[in-house]
Formats: sequence, C-alpha cells, structure tokens
Amino acid sequence: MDKQKMFTIPELTKLFFVHTKLIAKTTLEYKFHRSLISVAIFCREMISIVTMYLIMIRFVSIKGWDMNEMLFLYSFLFISYSLFVFVFAGIRDFDAMVQSGELDRFLLRPLGLIYQVIASRADFSATLGHGAVGVILLIKTAGSVGIEWNLRNTLAYIAVILGGTVIQASLFMVSSCFSFWTVNTTNLRNLVFFNARRFAAYPLSFYPGVIRYLLIFLLPFAFVNYFPSLYFLNKPEVSILGGWIPYLTPVVGAVLFFLVYTFWKFGLKHYSSVGN
Amino acid sequence: MSYIEVNNLVKDYKINVKKRGILGSMQSLLIPEYKMIRAVDDISFSIKKGEMVGFIGPNGAGKSTTVKMLTGILMPTSGNIITGGLSPHSDRKKNAARIGAVFGQRTQLWWDLPAEDTFDLLRYVYKMPEKKFKANMETFNELLGLNEFISKPVRQLSLGQRMRADIAASLIHDPEIVFFDEPTIGLDVVAKQKVRDFVRHMNKEKNITMLFTTHDMGDIEKTCDRMLIIDKGKIIYDGTPDDIKKKYAKYRTLIIDFVEKQSGIEIPGVEVCEDKGNKVQFRFIKDEVSAQELISSLTKKYEISDFTLQEADIENVIREIYEGGIKCDENLCGVC
Ligand SMILES: Nc1ncnc2c1ncn2[C@@H]1O[C@H](COP(=O)(O)OP(=O)(O)O)[C@@H](O)[C@H]1O
Ligand SMILES: [Mg+2]
Repeated sequence: MDKQKMFTIPELTKLFFVHTKLIAKTTLEYKFHRSLISVAIFCREMISIVTMYLIMIRFVSIKGWDMNEMLFLYSFLFISYSLFVFVFAGIRDFDAMVQSGELDRFLLRPLGLIYQVIASRADFSATLGHGAVGVILLIKTAGSVGIEWNLRNTLAYIAVILGGTVIQASLFMVSSCFSFWTVNTTNLRNLVFFNARRFAAYPLSFYPGVIRYLLIFLLPFAFVNYFPSLYFLNKPEVSILGGWIPYLTPVVGAVLFFLVYTFWKFGLKHYSSVGN
Repeated sequence: MSYIEVNNLVKDYKINVKKRGILGSMQSLLIPEYKMIRAVDDISFSIKKGEMVGFIGPNGAGKSTTVKMLTGILMPTSGNIITGGLSPHSDRKKNAARIGAVFGQRTQLWWDLPAEDTFDLLRYVYKMPEKKFKANMETFNELLGLNEFISKPVRQLSLGQRMRADIAASLIHDPEIVFFDEPTIGLDVVAKQKVRDFVRHMNKEKNITMLFTTHDMGDIEKTCDRMLIIDKGKIIYDGTPDDIKKKYAKYRTLIIDFVEKQSGIEIPGVEVCEDKGNKVQFRFIKDEVSAQELISSLTKKYEISDFTLQEADIENVIREIYEGGIKCDENLCGVC
C-alpha cells in the first residue's frame, strides 16, 4: 500500500496542472478585475522604464553600457519575476495561507507541504503584466546587442531565467518562514525586495562597494541579471569564468533555496496553527 | 484492541503579549513578552476501531486543539498519540492518506468554483482509481443530495449545502478515521439532522472510526455511543450519554393536560414549575417521588386528557457539570 501511495514525478506534474486549471478558472470568474490589474502592473513598470530611458538618453553610454544593453539587463528582472509569480505565488502569499487556515488543510493531505503551497497559487495577472514588459524589452534589445542566439546561448539563457526565478523565490521564502511564529514580515519583505530590485535595474559597476556586496552576497540579484548580462553582452569583465557564468545563476539559486528550505522546515516544527 | 491511543497529551500555546500604544508596541517588538496557555492538559483516552465518540465541551475547552494534534496538524507539547500504528505528526503524509477531517468553521472547497472542481482535484490528491471515485460520488449523491448544487460556485451555496459538500469531500477517499470539528455549527434543525444521519450511517455501514466534536449535546445524543466531556483542557467524563443521564439527571418533569382549568394543586415533594391553566408542569426528584403514584393520585382527583413524562434534559446536566454544580465521581469517570 505504501508504494502505491508514493507519488511519482508524472503524477505530481499532472496534479500541479490540475491545480493550475482550477486557478485559471477562478481567475476567469473575475476576468475584468484581473485584466485591469494586469494592465495596471504593465503601466506601472513601463513608467519606470521610460524614466530610466529619459535619464539615460542624454548619454551615449555610461561606464561602457549603452541604452540597449541597459534595457537588456533590465529585461531579466521582468522575465524571471513573471515566471516567479506564475510558479511560486504561493510562497509570496504564504502569510495569508497561514492566517486563513489553508495551511492546516494542506497538512491533512498526503502530499509535501511546500509542493501544495506552490501548486495552489499562480498569479496570472502579475505574470502577464511583468511578462509583457520583459518580452517587449527582450524583443527590442535581443537583436541589437550583438548576441548570437545559437543553441549554446539559448540554453544558457533558459538556465539564467530559471535560476533567477528560484533566487527570487528563495528571498520571498525567507519571510514566509517567520509566519510559522505568527510574525508577519510581508511589509518589511516588500520594502527590502523591491528596493534591492530597483538597484539591480542598473549595472552593478555603477555602485559603490557596499551595495555591490549586498547585491552579490546578501540579496543575490547580481546573479539574476548582472553577471549573466556580462556574459551575453561580451563585457570585458567576463574573462575569468567565461562560458560558465550563466550557470552560476541556477547554482546560486539551488544553494540559496536549500538553505532557506532548511530554515523553513525548522519553522514548521514551531507551527502552532491559528485559533478559530 | 484500541485503534487510537492517546497518553498524557499536553499542548501549550505561546502567546505574544501585545502592549498598547506606540511605546508599548515598540517595546513588544524589541523585547517580546510571552505568555503560555495550556490548551490541552494531560489527557488520555483510547478509541476502538469502528467506534463513534462524541467530544463535547464549551468554547475554548481544547477540542479543536486536540483534533489538530490527532490529525497531525500540530505537534504535541508532550505526551503521545498513536492512530492505527502511526504517529500523526511524524508520519504525517502516510497518516493523512487514511484520515479525513471536517472543520465546521472552515471549508476545503474552492470558494469561487463549483464543488465538483474540488472533488476532481481530490481524486488526484488521493490517487483514486476513476471507478472507485465515481462509485463514491454516486453514494454521496444519494445520501446527501449533492447533485442539486454541485455545479454551483461554492460561495453561492447555503451553509447546509456547503457543509454537505465539505463532508463528502472529507470522505471521498474512504478514510479509516474521520474527525469532525463542530460540523453542525450554525446549521438549522433540518440540516443538522441530515448531517447527523449521514455520519451515523457512514459509521455503521463502513465501520469508520469517528470522533465528533461539538458543543451541541443533541449531536452527541443522536449519534454517539460514547462521549468525552472536556473542560479547561481536561477530560472530566468518559462514558455513555445514558450513564451520565442516569447518574446525574435527578429531576423528571410531568406535563399534564387537564380537561378543566385547575389551579393551586399542591403535592408534597412536587414543584409546579409552569402553570398554563389546562396544562401544568410538575417537577420532582425521581428517587423520591414515583411517577406512577403521582399520575394515579392525580387521575383520582382530576379529569386528565393527556400527559407526558420527560427525563431530565442532558443539556442541563452538562451545563451543571461545567459550572461545577456536579462533581464527577470516580466510578463513573475514567479520568477525573
Ligand atoms: N493557534 C492558537 N494560538 C494560541 N492560542 C490558541 C490557538 N488555538 C487555540 N488557542 C487557545 O487554546 C484554548 C483552546 O482552544 P480550542 O482548542 O480552539 O478550544 P475549542 O475548540 O474547545 O473551542 C483557548 O483558550 C484558545 O484561545
Ligand atoms: Mg473549536
């Protein structure tokens, strides 16, 4: 019986998409509202790009970065964030799941907790809003920054996007760990995350040492967009690791996720549910 | 052979004491102050396979906390639980495949979608063969009338319908043990009865072991063979609903319909507690006054059209126990 009750990877994948189907159905129940949110996100992010554009347009390039390269650098943030809110929205909304007692329900099912948290949420509005911005930036810049889109580079690109998604998921997950002690850190998390992301919109070489170290070692956005961009744009700084640079991103993602997951499991031991 | 075995179970909650005002909240942020609450205080009991046990107690007694530990949601502070050879918390996933749980105040159904979508999801969650799933849905439909409302978004259902769907969702995978936490809360009389009948039926037909939490004595009387009373985290009674009645229900009530309006009837040892002209209620201690003698002495003097004899209301008995008016004695209560 035990063997039969174990879930195989195809079964988990199937169940993941059964969840996704139900989430899509729920989203369609509120088509108008959810579309408005998408449009609002799109406009908000486009404004930040136009702002950047207006600042940069006076210069041909800064510290060796021209406009298109900067936008290419920025596009990583949108594409990986878009994937993050599609796959890992449950980690983002974890605090609400604890509050509503949804977590208790997950604990009553014969499935891993983190699996259920991830499978039970997807934010289609944010995925579309951020995704559209990212794709527009990528299309506008991909041809003009001198990248050869061969198989090698395409694989590297996919690895970077996946790794970047996991890095951001891990950062969000740190705050969800505190929910087990009923400490809500959502506001603090948003403050830290989105400000760090704002810094990451510009090349790391623009910043003084402290901020660089922060973005490499503490909130490793440097691996989400800066280091991969050095590789794809053939910047002189890449010489040491060369072709392996893009693969640092998934490695950092995996290590970070593992560390945070360990903390998460520790937190789960202290979980005391919510009263009625 | 006991199926659920609970020994010296304790659960403490750590509560963050929040202070008022800006200074206070600064202080509790920097130097948090905690208070411990003992929600479950050293309880032990065991339940046999197929048994149907009622778990009754006032609000805040520790019922939900006990159910959360029995289902593996919470880790006990101390003590241990074995359900069917497994520890619910450390063997959570394995245990979860064999249990079902209904929480009356929460739903497991997807709120914006028809209930049938949740059922479809559960089919995969519990890895049910399609044939078995269909057969179970068929049975639940017959017993609970699911088809009337299964295609409507859950948010549009009445509380009774939602509860029926929730109960079916918790039983869809043929669990061996089912925990109900206040499944009848907020339901009207008819809906309550439907829930009770269904629960009773499933217990008898499928030999499912059940623990039924409530603060409504009616639920217990109509469904359970055994009841546990919990108060302030301690089990104060473990036995049948009948025993508690026999032992503690001292009073009986006799309601007489007189043909003509009567007033001023006085009988030693008998109290008139309601006098509506033709209809009079007498209350007396059953060990001191025999109902049969009372009735025959009344029929000798007056013309009577009808009468009813009521045993003491178990609800009142329970209330008196909570209030400390009745002290359980050793031979009746397993654990006092
Ligand atoms: N998650 C929780 N955190 C802190 N205290 C709790 C929590 N859940 C319940 N309590 C407290 O524990 C006691 C028992 O609660 P509970 O088990 O919900 O009782 P019941 O279900 O019998 O009404 C109450 O005093 C309640 O306030
Ligand atoms: Mg309760």
